[in-house]
Amino acid sequence: MAKLLPGLLLSNFSKLSLNSLQNAPKFTACANSILSRAEKYSTQHTPYEIVNDDQDYGLPNDTIEKVNHQIAEKQQGRLFAVVQVCGKQHKITQRDVLIVEGYWPPECGEKILLNKVLVLGAAEFSLIGRPLVQQGLVNVEATVIEKTLSHTKTHFRKKRRKQYMRTKFFKIPQTFLRINSIKVSPDVNNPPEVQGLDNVIF
Amino acid sequence: MSNSHLFLKPAFITTPGQNGVGRYVCQLQRVVLKFCMSHGSSRGVREFIETRLLEFVKESPEVAVYLKPRRHKSPIIKAEYLNGETQWVNARQFTDDEVLKWLNLLKSQSSNRSGVRLRKLMHTDFPSIQGPWTPYLFRDPQLNLARFPSEELSRPLHGTKTATQQLFEIFEKQKAAQNANSS
Repeated sequence: MAKLLPGLLLSNFSKLSLNSLQNAPKFTACANSILSRAEKYSTQHTPYEIVNDDQDYGLPNDTIEKVNHQIAEKQQGRLFAVVQVCGKQHKITQRDVLIVEGYWPPECGEKILLNKVLVLGAAEFSLIGRPLVQQGLVNVEATVIEKTLSHTKTHFRKKRRKQYMRTKFFKIPQTFLRINSIKVSPDVNNPPEVQGLDNVIF
Repeated sequence: MSNSHLFLKPAFITTPGQNGVGRYVCQLQRVVLKFCMSHGSSRGVREFIETRLLEFVKESPEVAVYLKPRRHKSPIIKAEYLNGETQWVNARQFTDDEVLKWLNLLKSQSSNRSGVRLRKLMHTDFPSIQGPWTPYLFRDPQLNLARFPSEELSRPLHGTKTATQQLFEIFEKQKAAQNANSS
Protein backbone atom coordinates (compact mmCIF):
# COMPACT_ATOMS: atom_id res chain seq x y z
CA MET A 1 0.00 0.00 0.00
CA ALA A 2 1.40 3.36 -1.07
CA LYS A 3 2.21 5.86 1.58
CA LEU A 4 -0.43 8.54 1.72
CA LEU A 5 -0.56 11.92 3.33
CA PRO A 6 -2.90 12.18 6.31
CA GLY A 7 -5.20 14.55 4.43
CA LEU A 8 -5.45 12.13 1.54
CA LEU A 9 -6.07 9.27 3.90
CA LEU A 10 -9.05 11.14 5.18
CA SER A 11 -10.40 11.70 1.74
CA ASN A 12 -9.86 8.06 0.85
CA PHE A 13 -11.79 6.55 3.70
CA SER A 14 -14.25 8.98 5.10
CA LYS A 15 -15.02 12.59 4.58
CA LEU A 16 -15.57 14.58 7.69
CA SER A 17 -17.59 17.72 7.92
CA LEU A 18 -18.35 19.95 10.82
CA ASN A 19 -21.79 21.41 10.49
CA SER A 20 -22.44 23.23 13.69
CA LEU A 21 -23.01 26.87 12.82
CA GLN A 22 -20.16 28.14 14.96
CA ASN A 23 -17.60 25.73 13.65
CA ALA A 24 -18.65 25.86 10.00
CA PRO A 25 -15.64 26.67 7.82
CA LYS A 26 -15.88 29.87 5.85
CA PHE A 27 -15.60 29.70 2.11
CA THR A 28 -13.46 32.72 1.44
CA ALA A 29 -13.23 32.09 -2.30
CA CYS A 30 -16.56 33.76 -3.05
CA ALA A 31 -17.39 35.37 0.26
CA ASN A 32 -18.22 38.72 -1.24
CA SER A 33 -21.34 37.38 -2.93
CA ILE A 34 -24.62 36.88 -1.10
CA LEU A 35 -25.29 33.83 -3.23
CA SER A 36 -22.03 32.13 -2.31
CA ARG A 37 -23.56 29.48 -0.05
CA ALA A 38 -26.39 28.76 -2.44
CA GLU A 39 -23.89 28.25 -5.20
CA LYS A 40 -21.78 26.06 -2.95
CA TYR A 41 -24.70 23.73 -2.23
CA SER A 42 -26.26 23.78 -5.70
CA THR A 43 -27.19 20.61 -7.51
CA GLN A 44 -24.88 21.36 -10.39
CA HIS A 45 -22.24 18.77 -11.13
CA THR A 46 -18.83 19.24 -9.56
CA PRO A 47 -16.25 20.51 -12.01
CA TYR A 48 -13.29 18.25 -12.74
CA GLU A 49 -10.39 18.81 -10.43
CA ILE A 50 -6.75 17.97 -10.88
CA VAL A 51 -5.52 16.46 -7.63
CA ASN A 52 -2.11 17.57 -6.55
CA ASP A 53 -0.45 14.87 -4.44
CA ASP A 54 1.74 17.35 -2.57
CA GLN A 55 -1.16 19.49 -1.45
CA ASP A 56 -2.99 18.64 1.77
CA TYR A 57 -6.70 18.60 1.00
CA GLY A 58 -7.88 17.37 4.38
CA LEU A 59 -9.46 19.30 7.14
CA PRO A 60 -7.11 20.75 9.74
CA ASN A 61 -6.11 18.08 12.23
CA ASP A 62 -7.61 19.93 15.16
CA THR A 63 -11.07 19.35 13.70
CA ILE A 64 -10.53 15.62 13.79
CA GLU A 65 -9.03 15.93 17.25
CA LYS A 66 -12.11 17.80 18.40
CA VAL A 67 -14.36 15.04 17.09
CA ASN A 68 -12.22 12.33 18.65
CA HIS A 69 -12.20 14.23 21.92
CA GLN A 70 -15.97 14.60 21.86
CA ILE A 71 -16.41 10.87 21.27
CA ALA A 72 -13.87 9.93 23.94
CA GLU A 73 -15.53 12.20 26.51
CA LYS A 74 -18.99 10.94 25.45
CA GLN A 75 -20.20 14.45 24.72
CA GLN A 76 -21.46 13.64 21.24
CA GLY A 77 -25.07 13.11 22.35
CA ARG A 78 -27.50 11.01 20.37
CA LEU A 79 -26.08 9.46 17.24
CA PHE A 80 -27.84 8.59 14.02
CA ALA A 81 -26.67 6.41 11.18
CA VAL A 82 -27.68 5.57 7.67
CA VAL A 83 -27.38 1.82 7.21
CA GLN A 84 -28.11 -0.42 4.28
CA VAL A 85 -30.14 -3.52 5.10
CA CYS A 86 -31.41 -5.87 2.40
CA GLY A 87 -30.77 -3.35 -0.36
CA LYS A 88 -32.56 -0.47 1.29
CA GLN A 89 -31.09 2.42 3.21
CA HIS A 90 -32.56 3.50 6.52
CA LYS A 91 -31.81 6.46 8.74
CA ILE A 92 -31.80 5.07 12.25
CA THR A 93 -31.07 6.05 15.80
CA GLN A 94 -31.12 4.14 19.07
CA ARG A 95 -34.50 2.52 20.00
CA ASP A 96 -35.93 2.86 16.50
CA VAL A 97 -37.96 0.09 14.95
CA LEU A 98 -37.59 -0.61 11.27
CA ILE A 99 -39.14 -3.19 9.00
CA VAL A 100 -37.18 -5.20 6.49
CA GLU A 101 -39.38 -6.52 3.72
CA GLY A 102 -38.94 -9.77 1.87
CA TYR A 103 -37.46 -13.12 2.83
CA TRP A 104 -34.71 -12.61 5.40
CA PRO A 105 -33.22 -15.49 7.42
CA PRO A 106 -32.58 -13.96 10.91
CA GLU A 107 -34.92 -15.41 13.55
CA CYS A 108 -36.76 -13.71 16.39
CA GLY A 109 -34.57 -12.75 19.33
CA GLU A 110 -31.32 -12.83 17.38
CA LYS A 111 -28.94 -9.92 17.77
CA ILE A 112 -27.24 -8.73 14.62
CA LEU A 113 -24.64 -6.15 13.66
CA LEU A 114 -25.51 -3.80 10.83
CA ASN A 115 -22.09 -3.09 9.37
CA LYS A 116 -22.95 -1.33 6.12
CA VAL A 117 -22.90 2.16 7.57
CA LEU A 118 -23.03 4.94 4.99
CA VAL A 119 -23.32 7.94 7.29
CA LEU A 120 -22.85 8.48 10.98
CA GLY A 121 -24.05 11.72 12.47
CA ALA A 122 -24.20 13.49 15.81
CA ALA A 123 -25.49 16.94 16.67
CA GLU A 124 -22.18 18.60 15.81
CA PHE A 125 -20.41 16.36 13.32
CA SER A 126 -21.09 13.87 10.56
CA LEU A 127 -18.91 11.09 9.21
CA ILE A 128 -19.74 10.52 5.57
CA GLY A 129 -18.56 7.27 4.03
CA ARG A 130 -17.54 6.97 0.42
CA PRO A 131 -19.45 4.79 0.14
CA LEU A 132 -19.01 3.15 3.54
CA VAL A 133 -17.63 4.46 6.80
CA GLN A 134 -14.46 2.62 7.82
CA GLN A 135 -15.28 -0.89 9.02
CA GLY A 136 -15.07 -1.33 12.77
CA LEU A 137 -15.32 2.38 13.52
CA VAL A 138 -19.09 2.34 13.96
CA ASN A 139 -20.96 -0.43 15.75
CA VAL A 140 -24.72 -0.66 15.10
CA GLU A 141 -26.50 -3.42 17.03
CA ALA A 142 -30.06 -4.56 16.39
CA THR A 143 -32.46 -7.23 17.64
CA VAL A 144 -35.04 -9.06 15.56
CA ILE A 145 -38.28 -8.64 17.51
CA GLU A 146 -40.94 -9.87 15.16
CA LYS A 147 -41.48 -11.72 11.91
CA THR A 148 -44.90 -11.43 10.31
CA LEU A 149 -46.62 -11.07 6.98
CA SER A 150 -47.84 -7.82 5.48
CA HIS A 151 -51.51 -7.16 4.69
CA THR A 152 -52.90 -8.94 1.65
CA LYS A 153 -51.85 -7.11 -1.48
CA THR A 154 -53.75 -7.47 -4.72
CA HIS A 155 -52.14 -7.88 -8.08
CA PHE A 156 -54.79 -7.21 -10.71
CA ARG A 157 -54.21 -7.31 -14.45
CA LYS A 158 -56.72 -6.69 -17.16
CA LYS A 159 -56.54 -6.23 -20.90
CA ARG A 160 -59.49 -4.50 -22.42
CA ARG A 161 -61.54 -6.29 -25.08
CA LYS A 162 -59.27 -9.35 -24.87
CA GLN A 163 -61.15 -11.45 -22.30
CA TYR A 164 -58.06 -11.35 -20.10
CA MET A 165 -58.27 -10.74 -16.38
CA ARG A 166 -56.00 -12.09 -13.62
CA THR A 167 -56.17 -11.44 -9.92
CA LYS A 168 -53.45 -12.58 -7.55
CA PHE A 169 -53.17 -12.08 -3.83
CA PHE A 170 -49.93 -12.10 -1.94
CA LYS A 171 -48.35 -11.18 1.35
CA ILE A 172 -44.77 -10.04 1.90
CA PRO A 173 -42.72 -11.37 4.83
CA GLN A 174 -41.74 -8.57 7.18
CA THR A 175 -39.01 -8.53 9.82
CA PHE A 176 -39.11 -5.98 12.63
CA LEU A 177 -35.72 -4.76 13.84
CA ARG A 178 -35.13 -2.87 17.06
CA ILE A 179 -31.97 -0.75 17.05
CA ASN A 180 -30.23 -1.36 20.38
CA SER A 181 -27.18 0.83 20.13
CA ILE A 182 -25.04 2.92 17.85
CA LYS A 183 -21.47 3.27 19.03
CA VAL A 184 -18.39 5.00 17.60
CA SER A 185 -14.84 4.54 18.71
CA PRO A 186 -12.72 7.70 19.10
CA ASP A 187 -10.45 6.63 16.28
CA VAL A 188 -11.60 8.84 13.40
CA ASN A 189 -9.15 9.26 10.54
CA ASN A 190 -6.88 6.49 11.76
CA PRO A 191 -7.58 3.60 9.39
CA PRO A 192 -5.59 0.37 9.67
CA GLU A 193 -2.88 -0.36 7.12
CA VAL A 194 -4.80 -3.22 5.53
CA GLN A 195 -8.53 -2.96 5.02
CA GLY A 196 -11.32 -5.09 3.60
CA LEU A 197 -10.04 -8.39 4.98
CA ASP A 198 -12.42 -8.57 7.97
CA ASN A 199 -14.85 -10.98 6.31
CA VAL A 200 -12.38 -12.86 4.16
CA ILE A 201 -11.59 -16.50 4.98
CA PHE A 202 -8.21 -17.73 3.79
CA MET B 1 -55.62 -1.47 -10.17
CA SER B 2 -57.42 -2.62 -7.13
CA ASN B 3 -57.87 -0.33 -4.20
CA SER B 4 -59.25 -2.88 -1.77
CA HIS B 5 -56.32 -2.36 0.57
CA LEU B 6 -57.53 1.21 1.14
CA PHE B 7 -60.42 -0.13 3.19
CA LEU B 8 -58.08 -1.94 5.54
CA LYS B 9 -57.53 -0.34 8.91
CA PRO B 10 -54.45 1.89 8.61
CA ALA B 11 -51.99 1.77 11.49
CA PHE B 12 -48.47 2.61 12.53
CA ILE B 13 -45.96 0.17 14.00
CA THR B 14 -46.72 -0.87 17.55
CA THR B 15 -44.41 -2.97 19.65
CA PRO B 16 -45.56 -4.34 22.99
CA GLY B 17 -43.68 -3.06 26.03
CA GLN B 18 -40.49 -1.87 24.30
CA ASN B 19 -39.78 -5.43 23.24
CA GLY B 20 -36.15 -5.95 22.32
CA VAL B 21 -34.81 -2.84 24.10
CA GLY B 22 -33.50 -4.98 26.94
CA ARG B 23 -34.23 -8.52 25.89
CA TYR B 24 -36.60 -10.18 23.48
CA VAL B 25 -39.79 -11.73 24.88
CA CYS B 26 -41.83 -14.15 22.78
CA GLN B 27 -45.35 -12.71 22.60
CA LEU B 28 -47.20 -15.96 21.94
CA GLN B 29 -48.71 -17.25 25.18
CA ARG B 30 -50.54 -20.39 24.18
CA VAL B 31 -51.61 -22.36 21.16
CA VAL B 32 -54.56 -24.74 20.90
CA LEU B 33 -54.61 -27.31 18.13
CA LYS B 34 -58.23 -28.38 17.59
CA PHE B 35 -58.65 -31.41 15.36
CA CYS B 36 -60.74 -34.53 14.64
CA MET B 37 -59.36 -38.02 15.30
CA SER B 38 -61.07 -39.61 12.30
CA HIS B 39 -61.74 -37.03 9.58
CA GLY B 40 -59.50 -36.69 6.52
CA SER B 41 -59.28 -32.90 6.75
CA SER B 42 -57.38 -33.24 10.04
CA ARG B 43 -54.87 -35.73 8.68
CA GLY B 44 -52.01 -33.24 8.40
CA VAL B 45 -52.59 -31.92 11.91
CA ARG B 46 -52.61 -35.49 13.28
CA GLU B 47 -49.40 -36.26 11.42
CA PHE B 48 -47.84 -33.09 12.81
CA ILE B 49 -48.82 -34.05 16.34
CA GLU B 50 -47.41 -37.56 15.93
CA THR B 51 -44.10 -36.59 14.37
CA ARG B 52 -43.14 -32.96 14.92
CA LEU B 53 -45.04 -31.52 17.86
CA LEU B 54 -42.51 -32.58 20.52
CA GLU B 55 -39.71 -30.97 18.54
CA PHE B 56 -41.68 -27.70 18.29
CA VAL B 57 -42.42 -27.73 22.03
CA LYS B 58 -38.76 -28.29 22.87
CA GLU B 59 -37.73 -25.39 20.63
CA SER B 60 -40.25 -23.02 22.18
CA PRO B 61 -40.47 -23.50 25.94
CA GLU B 62 -42.26 -20.15 26.40
CA VAL B 63 -45.36 -21.31 24.50
CA ALA B 64 -48.02 -23.57 26.10
CA VAL B 65 -49.40 -26.00 23.53
CA TYR B 66 -52.82 -27.60 24.09
CA LEU B 67 -54.45 -30.34 22.04
CA LYS B 68 -58.23 -30.52 21.78
CA PRO B 69 -59.71 -33.42 19.82
CA ARG B 70 -63.32 -32.92 18.77
CA ARG B 71 -65.51 -34.98 16.52
CA HIS B 72 -66.33 -34.22 12.89
CA LYS B 73 -65.15 -30.64 12.65
CA SER B 74 -62.41 -29.08 10.55
CA PRO B 75 -59.15 -28.45 12.39
CA ILE B 76 -58.08 -25.00 13.52
CA ILE B 77 -55.04 -23.49 15.21
CA LYS B 78 -55.93 -20.95 17.87
CA ALA B 79 -53.26 -18.61 19.21
CA GLU B 80 -53.40 -16.37 22.26
CA TYR B 81 -50.93 -13.51 22.62
CA LEU B 82 -49.61 -11.79 25.72
CA ASN B 83 -51.67 -8.69 24.95
CA GLY B 84 -54.87 -10.76 25.17
CA GLU B 85 -55.55 -10.95 21.44
CA THR B 86 -56.53 -14.25 19.88
CA GLN B 87 -56.11 -15.37 16.32
CA TRP B 88 -57.20 -18.55 14.67
CA VAL B 89 -56.15 -20.22 11.46
CA ASN B 90 -58.31 -22.68 9.59
CA ALA B 91 -56.06 -25.72 9.17
CA ARG B 92 -58.40 -27.73 6.91
CA GLN B 93 -56.53 -30.03 4.53
CA PHE B 94 -53.16 -28.71 5.76
CA THR B 95 -50.10 -30.89 5.48
CA ASP B 96 -47.81 -31.22 8.52
CA ASP B 97 -45.34 -28.82 6.87
CA GLU B 98 -48.01 -26.17 6.56
CA VAL B 99 -49.07 -26.62 10.17
CA LEU B 100 -45.47 -26.10 11.30
CA LYS B 101 -45.08 -23.02 9.09
CA TRP B 102 -48.22 -21.41 10.49
CA LEU B 103 -47.23 -22.26 14.04
CA ASN B 104 -43.84 -20.62 13.49
CA LEU B 105 -45.54 -17.54 12.05
CA LEU B 106 -47.87 -17.29 15.06
CA LYS B 107 -44.90 -17.72 17.36
CA SER B 108 -42.89 -14.92 15.77
CA GLN B 109 -45.78 -12.45 15.66
CA SER B 110 -46.64 -10.12 18.54
CA SER B 111 -50.34 -9.82 17.75
CA ASN B 112 -52.81 -10.52 15.00
CA ARG B 113 -51.35 -8.48 12.16
CA SER B 114 -53.93 -9.41 9.51
CA GLY B 115 -56.49 -6.80 8.54
CA VAL B 116 -54.15 -3.91 9.31
CA ARG B 117 -52.24 -1.90 6.75
CA LEU B 118 -49.01 -0.38 8.01
CA ARG B 119 -48.66 3.24 6.94
CA LYS B 120 -44.96 3.47 7.61
CA LEU B 121 -42.29 0.79 7.70
CA MET B 122 -40.32 2.48 10.47
CA HIS B 123 -40.89 4.14 13.79
CA THR B 124 -38.73 6.67 15.57
CA ASP B 125 -39.14 8.83 18.67
CA PHE B 126 -36.28 11.08 17.55
CA PRO B 127 -37.09 12.29 14.05
CA SER B 128 -34.20 14.75 13.80
CA ILE B 129 -30.84 14.99 15.51
CA GLN B 130 -29.10 17.78 13.63
CA GLY B 131 -32.32 19.80 13.38
CA PRO B 132 -34.91 19.77 10.63
CA TRP B 133 -34.17 21.35 7.27
CA THR B 134 -35.36 24.90 6.75
CA PRO B 135 -35.06 27.09 3.65
CA TYR B 136 -32.50 29.18 5.54
CA LEU B 137 -30.13 26.28 6.17
CA PHE B 138 -26.65 27.04 4.79
CA ARG B 139 -27.86 30.44 3.52
CA ASP B 140 -25.90 33.56 4.23
CA PRO B 141 -27.52 35.68 6.98
CA GLN B 142 -26.67 38.68 4.79
CA LEU B 143 -29.77 37.75 2.79
CA ASN B 144 -31.86 39.26 5.59
CA LEU B 145 -30.41 42.67 4.85
CA ALA B 146 -30.86 42.52 1.08
CA ARG B 147 -32.63 45.47 -0.53
CA PHE B 148 -35.07 44.72 -3.31
CA PRO B 149 -35.07 45.08 -6.25
CA SER B 150 -31.60 43.59 -6.16
CA GLU B 151 -29.74 43.01 -9.37
CA GLU B 152 -27.65 40.16 -7.98
CA LEU B 153 -30.60 38.24 -6.58
CA SER B 154 -32.68 38.74 -9.72
CA ARG B 155 -30.27 37.06 -12.09
CA PRO B 156 -30.55 33.31 -12.70
CA LEU B 157 -28.66 31.17 -10.19
CA HIS B 158 -26.73 29.00 -12.58
CA GLY B 159 -26.89 30.97 -15.82
CA THR B 160 -24.15 30.51 -18.38
CA LYS B 161 -21.85 33.41 -19.15
CA THR B 162 -22.83 35.67 -22.02
CA ALA B 163 -20.50 36.22 -24.96
CA THR B 164 -19.86 39.79 -23.77
CA GLN B 165 -18.83 38.55 -20.32
CA GLN B 166 -16.54 35.96 -21.86
CA LEU B 167 -14.93 38.64 -24.07
CA PHE B 168 -14.45 40.86 -21.06
CA GLU B 169 -12.75 38.03 -19.19
CA ILE B 170 -10.40 37.32 -22.10
CA PHE B 171 -9.61 41.03 -22.32
CA GLU B 172 -8.86 41.20 -18.59
CA LYS B 173 -6.59 38.16 -18.82
CA GLN B 174 -4.70 39.67 -21.75
CA LYS B 175 -4.30 42.91 -19.84
CA ALA B 176 -2.96 41.07 -16.81
CA ALA B 177 -0.51 39.13 -18.98
CA GLN B 178 0.71 42.32 -20.65
CA ASN B 179 1.19 43.97 -17.27
CA ALA B 180 3.17 40.99 -16.05
CA ASN B 181 5.37 41.02 -19.17
CA SER B 182 6.05 44.76 -19.02
CA SER B 183 6.93 44.70 -15.33
